[in-house]
Amino acid sequence: MTNEESELLYTNPYWRILIYGALIFAALLFLLPLYVMFTTSFKTLSEIRLGNMLSLPQAFTIQPWIDAWGEACIGLTCKGISGYFKNSILMVVPAVAISTILGAFNGYILTKWTFPGHKLVFGLMLFGCFIPFQVVLIPSALILGKMGIANSVFGLIFIHVTYGIGFTTLFFRNYYYVFPTELIKAAMIDGAGFFRIFFRILLPSSGPIIVVTVIWQFTNIWNDFLFGVSFTSGAQVPITVALNNLANSSTGVKEYNVHMAAAILAAAPTLIVYILAGKYFVRGLMAGSIKG
Amino acid sequence: MSFLEVKNLVKTFGSTEVLKGINLNLAEGKFLVLVGPSGCGKSTLLNLIAGLNNITAGEILINDKVVNNIHPGKRNIAMVFQSYALYPNMTVGKNISFGLEIRKVSKEQVQVKTLEVAKMLQIDHLLDRKPAQLSGGQRQRVAMGRALVRDPDLFLFDEPLSNLDAKLRVDMRTEIKKLHQTLKATIVYVTHDQIEALTLADYVAVMYGGEIQQFGSPHDIYNQPDNLFVANFMGSPSMNFIDGTIQKDANNLIIVIKENGRTIQLPITLPNTAIGNYVDKKVILGLRPEGINLFRDDSDDEKMGVDCKIEVIEPTGADTYAVLSFNNEEILARMRPERAIDLKETEKFTFNMNKAVFFDPETEQRIG
Ligand SMILES: Nc1ncnc2c1ncn2[C@@H]1O[C@H](COP(=O)(O)OP(=O)(O)O)[C@@H](O)[C@H]1O
Ligand SMILES: [Mg+2]
Repeated sequence: MTNEESELLYTNPYWRILIYGALIFAALLFLLPLYVMFTTSFKTLSEIRLGNMLSLPQAFTIQPWIDAWGEACIGLTCKGISGYFKNSILMVVPAVAISTILGAFNGYILTKWTFPGHKLVFGLMLFGCFIPFQVVLIPSALILGKMGIANSVFGLIFIHVTYGIGFTTLFFRNYYYVFPTELIKAAMIDGAGFFRIFFRILLPSSGPIIVVTVIWQFTNIWNDFLFGVSFTSGAQVPITVALNNLANSSTGVKEYNVHMAAAILAAAPTLIVYILAGKYFVRGLMAGSIKG
Repeated sequence: MSFLEVKNLVKTFGSTEVLKGINLNLAEGKFLVLVGPSGCGKSTLLNLIAGLNNITAGEILINDKVVNNIHPGKRNIAMVFQSYALYPNMTVGKNISFGLEIRKVSKEQVQVKTLEVAKMLQIDHLLDRKPAQLSGGQRQRVAMGRALVRDPDLFLFDEPLSNLDAKLRVDMRTEIKKLHQTLKATIVYVTHDQIEALTLADYVAVMYGGEIQQFGSPHDIYNQPDNLFVANFMGSPSMNFIDGTIQKDANNLIIVIKENGRTIQLPITLPNTAIGNYVDKKVILGLRPEGINLFRDDSDDEKMGVDCKIEVIEPTGADTYAVLSFNNEEILARMRPERAIDLKETEKFTFNMNKAVFFDPETEQRIG
């Protein structure tokens, strides 16, 4: 059954009203914080002090957004979150790209070029997916120090790639597992080698799983706080850590409107990625389970 | 001179021995069919010839050159798979030309050759389609096209017709045979369908349990099966097997069969010296359905006539089969449809001993 032609089974109309009612109520409840964030970010501080959280902005202003992006003070510097946003972009793009490519190759090798012990290797990689972050913090810090990439975006890229490979390998392995091996054989007889088979035959058919992996990795790496706060400091921290610092560092009044604007800016990339590619995400997750 | 040579080929997966010492010789331009039940190792053997799996022991020679360690892409072979294995992301044209492209054939040459092959297979109007937009029969043709376009030394087919419906399968079978006759290509063709094997082959190798049970012309395989397995597997409906004992009657050999309390004696008419060693010993008489017919008073040998109880009559169109009860087992007789009218419950049948084969019940090998 594809989602386009899904048929509704018969249900009593009254039930349906009840069900939809409950769903709409729940949706509104979940959307409420977002609503508060948005409205607050367009209010002046004095209006916020009145305490009426749910009201729409009386004197609409975009100054909090301008402040959040370029003026707000984080620690001792007052240049807003833009620099940290850039840190996160510089971290997330290579980290997602590298971990996805490595995962694709791993999946390809673990299904189509198996070697003695490939199951053990895969098992260990899976194990890596489920090791809690906290356990690896200290060893990671040591290794980053030894490699000379502590407190840098390279260090974070390295950590995220390492931590992400388990998941990306899992995704691609399961996807390629059901990919017909006869196609690989046919390509070998046609004279194609390891890389050509991968780039000409497998990769062009991997759209759905690439989308899944990219969304998964992007969301996880962008939203990461723990690695960021553990391995970087000062001007090197990613946006999530900067947001935390912003909320904690303002001396005197808490500028809630600026905080809200900054929070929305920090969350925007993952939201956009999900909105643009979300339907492929669900489709991709299904694709592995259906043969063909 | 043999073009493809397989010597003592062994293949094991883990601890299971899938091929147990295969020997084959095939001359250039000949059509060899590997036939056997599912799981007997046919595809494994074909994959080894193609170089898609590693050989455990033994040698494969193509054109007098040992190819054991040569990459499949460098053996100048082509293979057609059961699933067709068309590249889903490429058009039909690209599917056909992929191999040429890799071999750095010039663009114009690729175009000319692709079109030529596509025309030959009548798929030239489909060149821009993707495999998903094709019917099963069309996909099959594309898979063939991909093999033909490279003009290889050796064609390997792994059950290429088994995903087609019955009518199309028969048509394609004829077409493959025609192709072989025009191209004079050397072909190794795997199937589990014994009719396909007998129709297509110059030589048939019947496989079972990782071993070649018999290698020979379709005629030999059908008429002189080496053992009970081959006799039973090849031919449809399959051969009848009847237990009996060889005896000497004056100077002639006869086979004595006990059937439901009566004793039937049939003459042994074939010049078969080996059967002389079986006097007073048990043998299995093998007789195909076409070797058992309604008795004709005017022409048939009285000594070969046996009264049999008819259980069921099965018309199939061209022929009609009678299921006879024989020692509480069923044996099959064939007759022309026009003679299968007004049959009594018991009729006299001719057991045509000129077409009989005998097997040793211990070794299951053919005697003689
Ligand atoms: N990669 C493999 N690993 C383990 N066993 C295999 C493998 N490939 C084939 N086999 C086994 O080898 C036997 C022969 O298989 P195959 O050559 O595919 O048979 P056929 O093509 O005659 O049906 C089967 O019992 C099958 O289970
Ligand atoms: Mg097979």
